[in-house]
This record gives sequence, C-alpha cells and structure tokens, in this order.
Amino acid sequence: MLEVVDLTKHYGSVTALDGATFSAAPGRIVGFLGPNGAGKTTAMRCVFGLVQPERGETRWQGKPIDRSARLTFGYMPEQRGLYPRMKVADQVAYFAQHHGLSRTVARAATATWLERLGIADRAASRSETLSHGNQQRIQLAVALAHDPALLVLDEPFSGLDPIGIATMTEILQERAAAGVGVLFSSHQLDLVEDVCQDVVIIAHGRIVAAGEIEALKAASGRRELEVEVAGADGAWLDGRPGVSIVERSGNRVKALVSDGAELGDLLAAASKAGEVRRFAYGPPRLSELFMEAVEG
Amino acid sequence: MNPLRVIWLVGLRELLERGRSRAFILGLIATQALIIGSFFLQAFVAGEASKVSLGTVGSVPSDVRLAITVVADSLDADLAITPYSDLAAATEALRDEKVGAVLVGPDVSPGDQGVGELLVKDRPDARLQTIVQAAYQSLGQRPTPVPSLHALEPQSAADQTAFLLANVAVVLLFVSIFTFGYWVLTGVVEEKQSRVVEVVLATVRPRELLMGKVLGIGVLGLIQLLLFVITGLVVAGVTGKLTLPTTTAPTALLMLAWFAIGYTLYSTMFATLGALANRVEDASNASMPVMFPAIASYLLALLVVTNDPDGTIAIVTTYVPFSAPIVVPLRAALGAIAPWEILLSAAITIAFTYLLFVIGGRVYAGAVLGTGGQMKLRDAWRLAGRG
Repeated sequence: MLEVVDLTKHYGSVTALDGATFSAAPGRIVGFLGPNGAGKTTAMRCVFGLVQPERGETRWQGKPIDRSARLTFGYMPEQRGLYPRMKVADQVAYFAQHHGLSRTVARAATATWLERLGIADRAASRSETLSHGNQQRIQLAVALAHDPALLVLDEPFSGLDPIGIATMTEILQERAAAGVGVLFSSHQLDLVEDVCQDVVIIAHGRIVAAGEIEALKAASGRRELEVEVAGADGAWLDGRPGVSIVERSGNRVKALVSDGAELGDLLAAASKAGEVRRFAYGPPRLSELFMEAVEG
Repeated sequence: MNPLRVIWLVGLRELLERGRSRAFILGLIATQALIIGSFFLQAFVAGEASKVSLGTVGSVPSDVRLAITVVADSLDADLAITPYSDLAAATEALRDEKVGAVLVGPDVSPGDQGVGELLVKDRPDARLQTIVQAAYQSLGQRPTPVPSLHALEPQSAADQTAFLLANVAVVLLFVSIFTFGYWVLTGVVEEKQSRVVEVVLATVRPRELLMGKVLGIGVLGLIQLLLFVITGLVVAGVTGKLTLPTTTAPTALLMLAWFAIGYTLYSTMFATLGALANRVEDASNASMPVMFPAIASYLLALLVVTNDPDGTIAIVTTYVPFSAPIVVPLRAALGAIAPWEILLSAAITIAFTYLLFVIGGRVYAGAVLGTGGQMKLRDAWRLAGRG
C-alpha cells in the first residue's frame, strides 16, 4: 500500500502541493487526475525522493519510503528520458540492474519485456533511432523490467496510438491482477473510467475527491439524463428545477439532474414534446464527477 | 543497494558506452599514430644529415687532415673543413652551429693525450666523432692517442631526453585532463537535456551518479594515457632515438597519478558547472570559469616552469591546486623537485578536490533536476540544502 500523507510543497510563490493525502492499494489501478499544474507530477516525484516536500511524507507498507523501497517501484516520468545513444536492450538492462537485478537476470527480463512490447527486433538499435511510440515502449520496459511491486506512471497513455493504448491497458491490468499497485496520471477521463477501479482527483495541490469510481458515482448527488426526442430541440427541458443542461445537439439533450428527481414527470414532458427515441438515466460519467470536483 | 555497486554500475556504463564510441576510438588511433609518426619522422630527418662540418684551430698535422678526409669519404659523408685563426673565432662558430665540432691542435690545447681536443657545443655529433677518432686510429700508432672530447655546454643525452619528456608530459597531461574532463561536462548536460537523469535519480543518489561518472570516464583517460606512455617508450626503444634518463619510470608513474588527481579536480568543477546548464550548446559557456585557470596553468608550465624549474613561479604553482597537476610532474621530469614537495602538493590538491567535491556534489544535486533556464549557483545550493 502506497500512502501519501499531507504533502506540501511550494515553488517560490506557487503552491504545488497543499496537504495532499491519498493512497494506492495493491492489485488496484488508480487514476490520478487533475488539471494541468494541479500537483500530480510533484506528488509523484515526492514518492521517488526527487522532490523534498516541506511537510508530510510518503509511506510504503506503513513505513516511510526509503531507498530499498524505491528499488521495488517502477517509474515513468512525465518527460520521458532515455540515453539517446545507448542500445535499447543495454538501456533496459542497465536500469533493471540499478533496481538490484543481477546482470543475467536483468538481461533475461529485458528480453522478455522487449518481446512482449513488440520491439525485440530493435534490441540492438540505438534508442534515439526508434520512433516516438517505440521510445515510449522502451520507457515502459524500463519501468517494468525489475518486476516492481508498485508502478507510478506519469501520463503513460499520452502520445500512444490505439494499439499502443490497448497494449498499455492490457499490461496495467495484468500487473494489477498480479497484485501490483498501479498509480497513473492522465487527462483522458473516459480511458481512466474504463481502466481504473479507483481515482484520486487533485486541484490546486489538494485532493478534492478520492475513492472507488463506482462509489464516487453512487455518492454523487446527481444523475445523468440523456434524452432524444424526434422533432424537438430539447427546449422542453428548460427551466425545470434541479436540472442543468450539459450539452445539446440536434434532437439530443444531455443534462445533470439532482438525485430523486421525478423521472415520471420528465418522461411525460418529453413525450409531450414529441416521439421519445432514447431516454437514459444513470450515474454521471467520470468526466462529470471530475468537473464537479475540480470546479466545486 | 550498496552505494559501491551503484557507483560501479554508473562507472561501467560510462566506460563501456564511451569506450566503444567512435570519438574515443578514433581519438586513440589518431594520437597513437601521432606519437609513432613523430618518432619516425625524427629518425628520418636525422638520417638525412650526411653533411658534416669540422672546424680546425692551431696546427693539425697534415696526415691527420688527410686521414679525416679519407675516412669521411669512405663513410659517404660530405665533410667540409674550415680552419679558424684562433680559438675565440672557432668557439663562436661552434656556438652559432656553423660547424659541428672543432678540432683543436696540440699547440693550442694539448688535451689529455697530447694530441689536442675535439671541441663540441653540448654533445658530440656521433658521425663527426666517429670520423675524427677513426682518422687518428688509421694513423697506426698503438695505443692510439685521440683528441679528448670537450663540450662548451656539457649536457648529457639523458638531460636532453628528460627535457623532451617533460614537455611531452605537460602537453599530454593537459590534453588528457581536458579531453576527459570535458566529457564529464557534456555527459552531465546530455543526461539533463535528455531528461534521463530523472529516471536515474529515482534509484541513484546524485552524488553516486557524479562519482560513478567521474570514475568511469577517468578510467578511460588513464587507459589512454597509459597507452601513450607505453607506445612512446616502446617506439623510443625500437628507434633507439632516445637515451632514457633514470627518472623515466617515476615520471611516467607520477604522470598517471597526477592525471588522476588533476582530472578529478577539473572534472568535478566541469560536472558542477554542467549541471547548471540546460543544453549541450550552453556547455562551453558554462565551462569558462574552469578553462581560465586551466589555460593559465598550462601556459605558465610550458613557458616559465620548463625553463626555470626551481624559480619562484615554479614553486608557487606547485602549491596552487589548479596548476599543481601540470607543474609537479613537469618539475619531477626535470629532476627539480624534492619528494616532500610532491607529497605536500598532492595533499593540498587532494584536500582541495575533496572540498570541491562536497560543494560541487551539493550544487549538482540541486541543479541536475532543474529545467527552467540556466540555474544560478546560489539557487542550486539552496535547493539541495532542503534535501
């Protein structure tokens, strides 16, 4: 279990972290969300001792994180970094050795991961000669080769093509199934909703929402309503109490309504406006929760 | 993980990656070729000199004169004999290198064996000496009296070689310290620019990274320097061009030791300044504060200390850490330094290097993760202080 407790950090007059507290449990995939500049990268750097917080601490298995704990972590920084002229396999094995693997074991693990990520044929190429996507794969291999107990990935999906996204998702899910804790940041909220069980939402250095996605949705006081009425532009929904329109397009209207709204009344109003082709009611999407949490 | 293993891993990476790089291998080949080439060039040029000139003063018997011409002919030497009216004129001609030697008749100076003297400037031209001696021997008297050798400015062959070696040592040391120190600088900046340093520092402490890097590149430097020395000595032996002074082996060892000290001193400064820069393009600007004392030391050593190895400047620069790595081996090669001076200077320089490493290590730790613009020394110091 990774615990981040009361982290506080300023850069000059800018507050990067302001008492941030959250955790990431083993075997679960945690999405770390927040607007740009909210403090995600700083919090992750604190976990690796790259930034020293002014207050608070990071813990692993109940103890303050020290160097030997960090050897069991895998890290993918926001700004990817590889030795440009080093050969792909040498590079991955080098970092695996720094995590305590012997040369032989590091070489074997490297071969396995390069194979798995589909870049085994480039093992002897200089890293700088690979495409952006493939360099991202090397970076992932660097984070994974020593079989870490915790993965901390800063925007692992950014810049990946759909196939890359599918591979990354599969690997994260497989690692989590093996008991690894996975914490990653992303701005792709729909993706996070598909991949993660838990989320942590940070804004201005403070955690504004955290927990299981399903629980957060259930606890939300709002529901999402999506209605399509033939020949009507959605004006029928205007001015009703407890309803806020999110989006209109043609005959469709999307709105957030407070929990406990009279569905019967709404359906009746829709029917009056025209033929109802779609009437969906349910918990809000993660993106709605995010906006609500960040703006609220 | 054991810090020594971390330093070893970092150092080994530098050694292997850079040792295999085209820059290192080509540099090695080029410099070795230069050393070998210069020796052969020297041998070739020396072999060309078939012209020899001999001056005479006083009464040199005509049979001797004839014998000299005959012997010179038989040795295929193009000999010119110039008679001088008195010793002063002959000596002046000798000093001006108009003649290679002056044969002084027994009436002017009887010499040890009563047949006069062979006067030379510093050391005899082997060819000329052979011709004169063979000429006397051909006259048939047994045992043959030959003119005794007298030098105006006596200098042993070993002295000359020591001077040559000392100069070569200064150049090699300077070039080696800077080539490899500069590699540390660019290595630090490249790591920072490519952002790979963040991945490294997730498991490695900044000071370990710095030590490993300095060590790995330093070993490469030692290897190159060792090859220089070996090649130089082997080629010198093969071509028979040099009479090695007794100080050769200690000088070579001192050179390697002082390379290690000087390289560590300068590469620590290079690494610290490199961490403050953000791009490789800024690296040379960043290194200016190091280049100044370095070049000043080099010029002082080459222009002042070689000619006056016991002078005030030589003594002062021996105890200044920036110049000691070049000046001490130079003075040692010239046989102009006492062992205690070497030890004292080494102690001062190593202590200063350690201090720089402590300061530089802290600045490096504070600056190496920074991204926004060129960082100020003071900011980096404060940043690291929090950590």
